Amino acid sequence: MVMRKLQLPLSQTQKVRFERAIERLQSLSSTANSDASVIVTDSIPVNHDDAYLKGHGTSEVDGELLATVCGVVERVDKLVYVRTLRARYKPEVGDIVVGRVIEVAQKRWRVELNFNQDGVLMLSSMNMPDGIQRRRTSVDELNMRNIFVEHDVVCAEVRNFQHDGSLQLQARSQKYGKLEKGQLLKVDPYLVKRSKHHFHYIESLGIDLIIGCNGFIWVGEHVELRDPMAIDDQKDEEMISSSAENTGKEQIYTLLETRQTICRIGNAIRVLSNLGFTVTLEIIMETVNLSNSKNVDIHDMLGSEFHVVVAENEAERRRTKRKK
Amino acid sequence: FKSVRLLDIIIDLDGFVSFFIISAFHLSYNMLLNQLRCEEGDPENLLRNSFFQFQADRAIPDLEKQIKSLEKERNSMVIEEEESLKNYYNLIFQHKSLKKDICEIVFTPKYCLPFLLPNRAVCLDCTNDDEEQQSFSIEDQDTWGVIMKFNKVKSLFEDDDNRRPEDANYTVDVLTRCMVSKDGVGKKKVKAVPIKERGEPVVVTVPLSQIKSLSSAIMNIPKDLVPLEARENALKKVSELLSRHPDGIPLDPEVDMKIKSSSYKKTVRRLEALENLFEKHKIAKSPLITEKLKVLHMKEELTAKIKSLKKTVRSSTTLAFKDELKARKRVLRRLGYTNSDNVVELKGKVACEISSAEELTLTELMFSGVFKDAKVEELVSLLSCFVWRERLPDAAKPREELDLLFIQLQDTARRVAELQLDCKVEIDVENFVQSFRPDIMEAVYAWAKGSKFFEVMKIVRVFEGSLIRAIRRMEEVLQQLIVAAKSIGETQLEAKLEEAVSKIKRDIVFAASLYL
Repeated sequence: MVMRKLQLPLSQTQKVRFERAIERLQSLSSTANSDASVIVTDSIPVNHDDAYLKGHGTSEVDGELLATVCGVVERVDKLVYVRTLRARYKPEVGDIVVGRVIEVAQKRWRVELNFNQDGVLMLSSMNMPDGIQRRRTSVDELNMRNIFVEHDVVCAEVRNFQHDGSLQLQARSQKYGKLEKGQLLKVDPYLVKRSKHHFHYIESLGIDLIIGCNGFIWVGEHVELRDPMAIDDQKDEEMISSSAENTGKEQIYTLLETRQTICRIGNAIRVLSNLGFTVTLEIIMETVNLSNSKNVDIHDMLGSEFHVVVAENEAERRRTKRKK
Repeated sequence: FKSVRLLDIIIDLDGFVSFFIISAFHLSYNMLLNQLRCEEGDPENLLRNSFFQFQADRAIPDLEKQIKSLEKERNSMVIEEEESLKNYYNLIFQHKSLKKDICEIVFTPKYCLPFLLPNRAVCLDCTNDDEEQQSFSIEDQDTWGVIMKFNKVKSLFEDDDNRRPEDANYTVDVLTRCMVSKDGVGKKKVKAVPIKERGEPVVVTVPLSQIKSLSSAIMNIPKDLVPLEARENALKKVSELLSRHPDGIPLDPEVDMKIKSSSYKKTVRRLEALENLFEKHKIAKSPLITEKLKVLHMKEELTAKIKSLKKTVRSSTTLAFKDELKARKRVLRRLGYTNSDNVVELKGKVACEISSAEELTLTELMFSGVFKDAKVEELVSLLSCFVWRERLPDAAKPREELDLLFIQLQDTARRVAELQLDCKVEIDVENFVQSFRPDIMEAVYAWAKGSKFFEVMKIVRVFEGSLIRAIRRMEEVLQQLIVAAKSIGETQLEAKLEEAVSKIKRDIVFAASLYL
């Protein structure tokens, strides 16, 4: 948990409460690694007689092992590397990412991913709308705009790295693809830790939550996944005709409550990002429930009072979790 | 009907022979890690939809039909006084097993080797195993013969040469009456028969376990036993001995052979008690006892078969590799490749890249820094152990530096295998460690140093194609290792591996075509 300076005007009492909550949080956080934190050009203690492997963030200068980034020294067997605390998104193969399409190019879409290069989503890495697996023809290429256009929000998986360091994405299942009826939020990428599931479906609220590893989070109305194998031919025709009608007319409105919930969750994530807490489903729901129980209005969530309340609540929660 | 493993894609469709295909599906760590790496990866789904599972499910109705028919057959066999008969039957088997225990104790090499002197008369067990019927009395068939000499059995592993002499296996050459027959392919089969029956006197090699008892009598036999009369005379002498002393003056284990183990005494006492019970058993006197026992035996066999079939059915309905999947996940957690939530960590990501060699051992080697100090050629030689799986009988021992690396490899492999065994994965530790062969280390070292191919072929005598295949596979492993080194950020190692690739990728081994 890394604290950044809060950019909100706090009154005197609020400041005092906030400082106290931060102190408690810092005392609760594990102090095991504080000895291992280094800054640039710090020498890393290493047994030179042993064969050690130099990993990322280190470099050997004059026989000494120096850190080239600020962070925490990690050791895995004989490998020594420096794990940065705050850095740009570092992608791994298999990461779930959310991004915005910025260009429709030849047989591919370029997606903005909060990385030093744009991600590339090839036409061949997308599932065709009819679900059939076949070679993409020139007709498919001309119809690319029917799938994604500029400024669409898409969800994909990192497939591999190109030789120049840019990412190649794939969207080979129903879960990935265009995201509609929701909100895209940007948080710092180091606040999202890799976990088992990044797709969350909150049943009680009917909300889909996708936490992308690149720091882009999508909150939206739940969309039922269509399993292309399970539908009859008749039903399929019905669905295609009904969806064609929909794009012509006004879309079916989402309910007001759903939209309010989406905004509430979005604000909760913004608050957590401002405070610098790791964003997980648990803590988001905790914050949302807190705001509901204290009857905080959605706009007021971004006010200084709610920030202080959330900080105090989190300190309390971690303390009780520690005790268990 | 021949059965072909599914991995053998080239199936011979000649003529009208149809092949049964048996699925060779198996789990591997690389597969498991790559599944865990992506959000959609569901190993259980993969198992459920595999061909192996399909075959297992398909066989179930068949097995159930078999079980039903066997059960019907078994229930149709009715025997009178079944309870007491079963009791008697159990007693017989207990008696047999106790006798076997005694024999085992008496004839451990530790006790009996000093007494296996040439020309000693010996009693052999020659119950005929070919017949389907078992003998249901407490007397077995036996025959007598004369010991010629004993031999130590040479075993396959060199390590066993270091075992103590008393632990090794022995066989004994015995002159006895045998029935020599020729079976279908013209091979001679020699079987010992009781001394009074028809047959020839021949020297036959029997394992220690077939000897029933040693006699204290040592016969006077001429050295030359090639002429038939000499052998006949020897056997006649043994018959004479038997007629004078029907039990053959056996060596008493306690007094003569000086066996003092307490387990022996206990077993002997139990045997005596058992023999008493036989006399007293009321059913022993009833008529047709042997026929009844035979029927009971068949019934017991059917019950055993039904039980095993039921077990197969039960194991097939559950997911085929589920336990192994759980155990392998445990191994990955223990080794630090995934964290407790089954999210892949740095080590696991390295192992994900390696698919052409044993991924766990190679990753462990990499992370233990072995690759760092080794020179480029030595590194390449070490990798050759991962790709060469055959055993060469006369391979040269690699030089010292290479041997040192090889020993480190073996240690790592042993550690990995023991951990797998610990986590309940079915693996044979010694087999696993022995599967890494150093046979072509020298050859690959020479190739990496820059020798020509024909010089390399002089060092080791294998098929050229096998060596070339091995070197090509090694280049694949090197490429995967380069990607892995890049992911952990070790630029030095990455440069070293790229240098290694450039050193071996040359000339005829990597020629795209031999003709153009």
